Amino acid sequence: MSFLSRIADLIDALAQRHRLLPWLVAYALLLTLPFILSTFFNDYLIDLANRACLFIMLAVGLNIVKGFCGQVTVGHIGLYAIGAVTSAVLSLEPGGFGGALGFGLSVWVSIPIAVIVTAFAGLIVGLPSVRLEGAYLALATLGLGESVRIFIAVTPALGSSTGLMMIPAPSIGGFVFDSFTSYYYLVMTAAVVGIYFSFAILRSATGRAFQAIREDTIAASVNGINVVKYKLLAFVLSAIYAGLAGALFAHMPPGYLHHNNFTVIEMVTLLLMVVLGGIGNVWGGVIGAIVVTIAYDQTKDLVVYFMDRPIVIQPLVFGLSMVLLVLFMPRGIGGWFEGVRRNRRFIQRSEEKLGDAARNS
Amino acid sequence: MTLLETRNLSKSFGGLQAIDKVSLKVEQNTIHGLIGPNGSGKSTFFNLLTGVYQPDEGSRISFDGVDITNSPAHAIAGLGLARTFQLLRLYGELSVLDNVMVGYHPHTKYGPLAPLFNGAEVRRQDKAVKEEMQELLEFIGLADHAEIPAAELSGGQRRLLALGRAIAMRPKMLLLDEPGAGLSPVNVDNLMATIMTLKERYNLTIIVVEHILKVVMSTCDTISVLDHGQKISEGTPEFVKNDPAVVEAYLGREMADEDIRAAMDA
Repeated sequence: MSFLSRIADLIDALAQRHRLLPWLVAYALLLTLPFILSTFFNDYLIDLANRACLFIMLAVGLNIVKGFCGQVTVGHIGLYAIGAVTSAVLSLEPGGFGGALGFGLSVWVSIPIAVIVTAFAGLIVGLPSVRLEGAYLALATLGLGESVRIFIAVTPALGSSTGLMMIPAPSIGGFVFDSFTSYYYLVMTAAVVGIYFSFAILRSATGRAFQAIREDTIAASVNGINVVKYKLLAFVLSAIYAGLAGALFAHMPPGYLHHNNFTVIEMVTLLLMVVLGGIGNVWGGVIGAIVVTIAYDQTKDLVVYFMDRPIVIQPLVFGLSMVLLVLFMPRGIGGWFEGVRRNRRFIQRSEEKLGDAARNS
Repeated sequence: MTLLETRNLSKSFGGLQAIDKVSLKVEQNTIHGLIGPNGSGKSTFFNLLTGVYQPDEGSRISFDGVDITNSPAHAIAGLGLARTFQLLRLYGELSVLDNVMVGYHPHTKYGPLAPLFNGAEVRRQDKAVKEEMQELLEFIGLADHAEIPAAELSGGQRRLLALGRAIAMRPKMLLLDEPGAGLSPVNVDNLMATIMTLKERYNLTIIVVEHILKVVMSTCDTISVLDHGQKISEGTPEFVKNDPAVVEAYLGREMADEDIRAAMDA
């Protein structure tokens, strides 16, 4: 605890010198991660780090719409799928395997287009939020998200059951981002920039408007906030994160995409990240994404035998931890840490005041 | 000058006529009281004025010379009509400072996407707003609690914050829905004193719904009385107090005159 506080104090001290300094220091440290992982562990962990970065982007995006704006969406994974498939199809060579579509565009063109397409899709996912709330909205968005996956699963042009293969990797000049390590620099940079922009939005009047809508929609509207506009904006912003994460996922080595990556299980995993991290807390979402990605990976092959029959217990473990989290730690890691910091500041200020009073008397 | 005017304002929910052809004028820089028994339509009236409900056909509401009859709530707020709620509706998880900063929203000068493209300008403006809001908190006596989530405040502090959030909107007119509900008599007096100071300081016109008749009688310039959705009386506190229609609405026909006086003065 005091260790975490010390890190937080150090970050504050850096930020005092220049606003961007903590970000640059963190980025520099992250640049060394592949060397550390490949030297002391193995290359597989770099792949895991890449996937963690994608999930960070998804979690940070979901945090905008769910954590900050309070709109319960279960369709986020569908947006991720749209980003991934759009960029994959646009960049594949025409006449690929199994009747898959291909337009042969450069990856640097296909990714931005995929992000724009996903942003529009986000607007559509957001439309039910104008009239629906809570569980009803969750159901509507779940339907939209699942229908995307099913559409992909039954459409040969989009890969259907075999998936899309040989999706090209991005390249600059002669350099191709086709290894775990090189791709890490791409997704890590995207994730850091994504986190930075999410802070920029959420610490502005825009972010406060989102939070006001989450806390009390009627109060927000009489405070002059155009509730419909801001709800849709939250959906579009989060869709941009999902679209970028999806597109980067499509081109990640080994360049293979299957609709099984976009199931409800993935969506629940994503929700777990946001809830574990603390709803409405950006860093919490980031930590949640990292912790859950690692936990997910480590429990993937967890099997227990019951009367000689194997039972995969991962879904059970994840479901149970979700229930326990909501019961015992509803504000997640981030909420807990924020509370601790706030209390510390309050005590510090009170002590200062007492000191002042003592001097003045 | 008339700041707010309603003409034939009506609202029915299914078969229930909650507000029935209420015409009312509120003069600038006055405190206008709105009283009536429970269920007489006071809160509905506020909800109609602020765009939370849409009025029925034939109704007219104009504010500061603008027709706001069918305007959405956020647009009405932008014109300078602020309100508090009976149940406060604070942003519980947000800090006290953030609550008032949300109140300032209609005056934000940058667009919702400016943080992405013009961070420096956003930070500069937010810093200025923050200082201004700190001053406001200082004024209403919540500066020491600026970083605490609104939900953790005491009852009295929460009422003050609700008031502060409305004032942060820099309104021309303020609608107060039972500001004294649940407060002890001493606290009610303090709150009313604060409201009077705010009125002078920010040049406000106020409509107040209040059950504590003593408060209404002593502070309001004009009082309108609602009963079953209809305006049954209007005038100075002295006039309303003695209007048989009002007495009947509150206490029924049978009550003796001196009992009525006693109840009104209590």
